[in-house]
Amino acid sequence: MHSVITNAWKGDPYPIDTLFIFMANMAWNSTMNTGEVRKMLNDRDAGGNHKIPFIAVCDAFQSEMTAFADLVLPDTTYLERHDVMGMLDRPISEFDGPMDSVRIPVLPPKGECRPFQEVLLELGSRLKLPAFTLPDGSRKYRDYPDFIVRHETEPGSGIGFLAGWRGADGRSAMKGEPNPEQWKRYEENGCFFKLELPRSYQYMRNWNRGYMEWAQRVRIRRYGDPILIHLYSEVLQRFRLAAQGKWPGRRPPERLAARVERHFDPLPTYSLPLEAAHTDPIKYPLAAITQRPMAMYHAWDSQNAWLRQIHTHNYLFVNAATARAAGVEDGGWLWVESPWGKVRGMCRFSEAVEPGTVWTWNAIGKQPGAWGLAPGANEARKGFLLNHLITDALPDGTSNSDPVTGQAGWYDVRVRIYPAEPGEPQETFPVFDTLPRAPGTREAPVSWLAYVSGRISGR
Amino acid sequence: MSKQLALVIDLNVCVGCHACVTSCKEWNTSGEAGFLSDDNPYGRDPTGTFFNRVQTFEVGEFPDTETVHFPKSCLHCEDPPCVPVCPTGASYKRAEDGIVLVDYDKCIGCKYCSWACPYGARELDEHQKVMKKCTLCVDRITDTSLAERDRKPACVLACPTSARLFGDIHDPASEVSVAIRENGGYPLMPEWGTHPANHYLPRRKTRRPLHADELVRHDNPLKVDGKLPRPATSEPSLDDVTSW
Repeated sequence: MHSVITNAWKGDPYPIDTLFIFMANMAWNSTMNTGEVRKMLNDRDAGGNHKIPFIAVCDAFQSEMTAFADLVLPDTTYLERHDVMGMLDRPISEFDGPMDSVRIPVLPPKGECRPFQEVLLELGSRLKLPAFTLPDGSRKYRDYPDFIVRHETEPGSGIGFLAGWRGADGRSAMKGEPNPEQWKRYEENGCFFKLELPRSYQYMRNWNRGYMEWAQRVRIRRYGDPILIHLYSEVLQRFRLAAQGKWPGRRPPERLAARVERHFDPLPTYSLPLEAAHTDPIKYPLAAITQRPMAMYHAWDSQNAWLRQIHTHNYLFVNAATARAAGVEDGGWLWVESPWGKVRGMCRFSEAVEPGTVWTWNAIGKQPGAWGLAPGANEARKGFLLNHLITDALPDGTSNSDPVTGQAGWYDVRVRIYPAEPGEPQETFPVFDTLPRAPGTREAPVSWLAYVSGRISGR
Repeated sequence: MSKQLALVIDLNVCVGCHACVTSCKEWNTSGEAGFLSDDNPYGRDPTGTFFNRVQTFEVGEFPDTETVHFPKSCLHCEDPPCVPVCPTGASYKRAEDGIVLVDYDKCIGCKYCSWACPYGARELDEHQKVMKKCTLCVDRITDTSLAERDRKPACVLACPTSARLFGDIHDPASEVSVAIRENGGYPLMPEWGTHPANHYLPRRKTRRPLHADELVRHDNPLKVDGKLPRPATSEPSLDDVTSW
């Protein structure tokens, strides 16, 4: 996932004609190696054609990513659409039983905005993809709410997105035939469903036989056997045997066999991040990490007039002793450099950070002109991204991700810090060109505003 | 004794998420104390009027460090220095519940009250030219059209960790009085003699000692899961499930 643009640019495993991005700011804070990825998005081959021929982006906001789009599909906010936090993807469950929930629109969509789910459903239907088409070739689902109610994991399985009020009479939970009244039942119940398990099912569920049998019957689990922590993992050992050519089943590709054999260790082990093998620990002694600010939901809404007053720009938090040893001052400008890139930002001394680690808030820094902010906004002039320092691929050509889980190595980068020279601009680096205003948008900055009962006043 | 409404804020629980800051502004900008304006909202150095702000600071040196999130708003002092200095009588303390308020029709924006407040809790709205401050959501807590449980300040309802309590500190049996009494609640800068109604609960250590015998299971004499004697399926169980 974290290499999607690099792979699209490389044509790995094959060239694509369309890159379709939804709500991911892959030209900025959601990608590693941001500077190079931005070049890839615009890169052309020898014939002068774009290596990624067509980019469609669906987002509710004008982000750094929408600026690269050939086609922008304006999304709605959560207030304007149906949504499901259902059993098939991270339901909201509590310890005492499974729960799921829905969103029901409270406002009509503005302008040409359309919920992304509806767009996907429309595309699937018009392309006549089998999941969205009846045997006679006609459209299977009217819209997203209809799809949510009637989709089943397999024909007749009785398992769909939502666990509550299933069955023709709406009396089944977890499993049961589609109920056309399901959305209404959720709305009546405050937009959520909860199935409280019997007390005897609530505890030690990893080896609770009653729970296991129930879970298998409602198909939360495929098998009814206890879930044990494997101190010796037969599963991992199978991968290792396959890499060694000692397993009769599938084998990893030749170029990855050594990596699989080395890292799929059936016993618990400790190993340094893969990136450590490509980093000089003397030159780059510090670990660098990021964290999302609590007041914002990643880049989305961090341009909000109130929220941006809470975090208008970010600092690099450095243990005071570490900073002093590097000659960096509290509030001063500094360079943060990894083997893969460097950024300039401001330093804040902290006693709450381990001396061998530095950290900063993620996704505060913005490209000038993005997110409806004035080009001179603090986010664009003082805020910075650590993403420029993080690589998505290692020098040996492999992915910078955990070899067993595939988790991208966001937190593996090592850096050094040093003060900015006195004559340098008091500004973040790198700075990209100011984005032009998107067609049809008003000039964003006003001198002041005040919200009153949903109306905006000000000038 | 008369009523004195107040907030009690638990510094041991606050995580600094700012939900109280934004929910306060959301309620009050559209309420009787509104509006709360913002300057340069989408430009350089944005600034605005807030009734409630969270200051974050560190205490101690690594590794013995604590990060303290410290929400700050009007403390509704029992002897408020902002009231007698007001030349027009705009700044006043309500007799019936002890809330300190500003009458915008009388306020001339002279800022005497903000100079007199030792806590820096007042902010002049640059566009309405009147002094603004926390009202304890007076238009909400007294609104009988709301359900009883919603008649609380917006910040209290928004707090995800329940770090903010609201009630009458003159009632010794109230939730806030009990919290102050039993958890070492303290007012800010009592040496000023302002008798702040709002109190803070201090940072405190939570320790959970674990004894060796807690690690041994006593309910499994055979030491083997699955070989325990089973009740007949017809016997009633602890709950409504008898099938296993």
